[in-house]
Amino acid sequence: MDMMISNLQQQRQITEQLRREAAVKRIPVSQAIQDIIKYIREREMEDCLMVGFSSQKANPFREKSSCAVI
Amino acid sequence: MKDCKSYSVAPPLADIALRNIWNLDMALDVNTRTETVELLSREADCLKHKLEEERKKLNDVTLANVAERLEEVTFLNIKPRRLLKGNQAKMLCCDWSPDKRHIVSSSQDGKLLIWDAFTSAKEQTVTMPTTWVMACAYSPSGNLVACGGLDNKVTVFNISNPEEDPSAKKKTVGTHTNFMSCCLFPNSDQQILTGSGDATAALWDVESGQMLQSFHGHTGDIMSIDLSPSEIGNTFISGSCDKMLLLWDMRTGQSVQSFEGHLSDINSVKYHPSGDAVASGSDDSTCRMYDLRADKEVAVYSKESILFGVNSIDFSVSGRILFGGYTDYTINAWDSLKCERVSLLYGHENRVTSIKLSPDGTALASASWDASLRVWA
Repeated sequence: MDMMISNLQQQRQITEQLRREAAVKRIPVSQAIQDIIKYIREREMEDCLMVGFSSQKANPFREKSSCAVI
Repeated sequence: MKDCKSYSVAPPLADIALRNIWNLDMALDVNTRTETVELLSREADCLKHKLEEERKKLNDVTLANVAERLEEVTFLNIKPRRLLKGNQAKMLCCDWSPDKRHIVSSSQDGKLLIWDAFTSAKEQTVTMPTTWVMACAYSPSGNLVACGGLDNKVTVFNISNPEEDPSAKKKTVGTHTNFMSCCLFPNSDQQILTGSGDATAALWDVESGQMLQSFHGHTGDIMSIDLSPSEIGNTFISGSCDKMLLLWDMRTGQSVQSFEGHLSDINSVKYHPSGDAVASGSDDSTCRMYDLRADKEVAVYSKESILFGVNSIDFSVSGRILFGGYTDYTINAWDSLKCERVSLLYGHENRVTSIKLSPDGTALASASWDASLRVWA
């Protein structure tokens, strides 16, 4: 009996999860992708790891300029 | 990290208590409603079929095809800038302070270290009464750090006063029934979200130590969680050894969406900065991206030459670059749109366990089993 009940409970959880997922509203992949691309394109120019820094001084992790005494 | 996954424990007590309540509830149901396993499983099959059809119908293009016309990401200007050397113990996790300057790290010997990433100096050391501290995280104020691991607990230290021993102000906030693999402060210093080898995630109140919500749904160890970047921030994602990525509603405790595709354990999950997509890294040596609104996997990041697992991932600030820390000692940088590798960061001499973008996106920190942290910028 316990086994049956736990099976029922497990199955109910699975079905309920699927019911929730089936209720999710979906948009076409093409539209979703356009939005991702748009988001990225608008921010790419400020992405320091992509385009670097406007000047090396702006990089907090730059190597300290060492004064070489010759 | 893998070594920890095999640690097994008895079923959580809370689970047993819950099951007993359900049993009663079920017994009533059996009499009053005709909800049978057969009926439920038939409905589940129908729903699965319907979901599959729907996803197929909306799958009109592929990301790599659409992105073909975009300009390529040329050579990334990222160099190794700092080497932070630890105490010969494997580094397992790292996190940036909101001040964009300090980093917290946790390691296999139970040490929690606070670093000044600008000067490479160790500023504070906390010794935990456990080994394998698998997770550490800064709070939004920068005053607290949370950590835990094989002790099954999440412990909070106040590090705001460098003159004071952080251990003096230590607080155990929550306890799982298996190792704690990941933690973060969602939006404030008052709450902590944790993921665990007991297959659950939990939201805790820092002050009282009370569990505010628990999240049941995974059937394997949870290895990673990430909070939605949207301002409301009421959803989070989790990745698990059951190969699933789940999206949760923090208020109700229910999982809202699920994504599958990986062929092995998911080690790391991360929201795209737009908040509309999520990514994962897995032992199957691939990273993947899923769009939440299309409810579908949209990209796979893999190469034939990459054979080892992905332990940790993070996006660059625009979301164009997806970084992955791999077991083969490398960090791969992927063009998230064209699905091509654009750069390979060499430096670490053992597996890369954790990578994190700094809060302003100017640098990437990485932790490794070679007992060091590196900062790339």
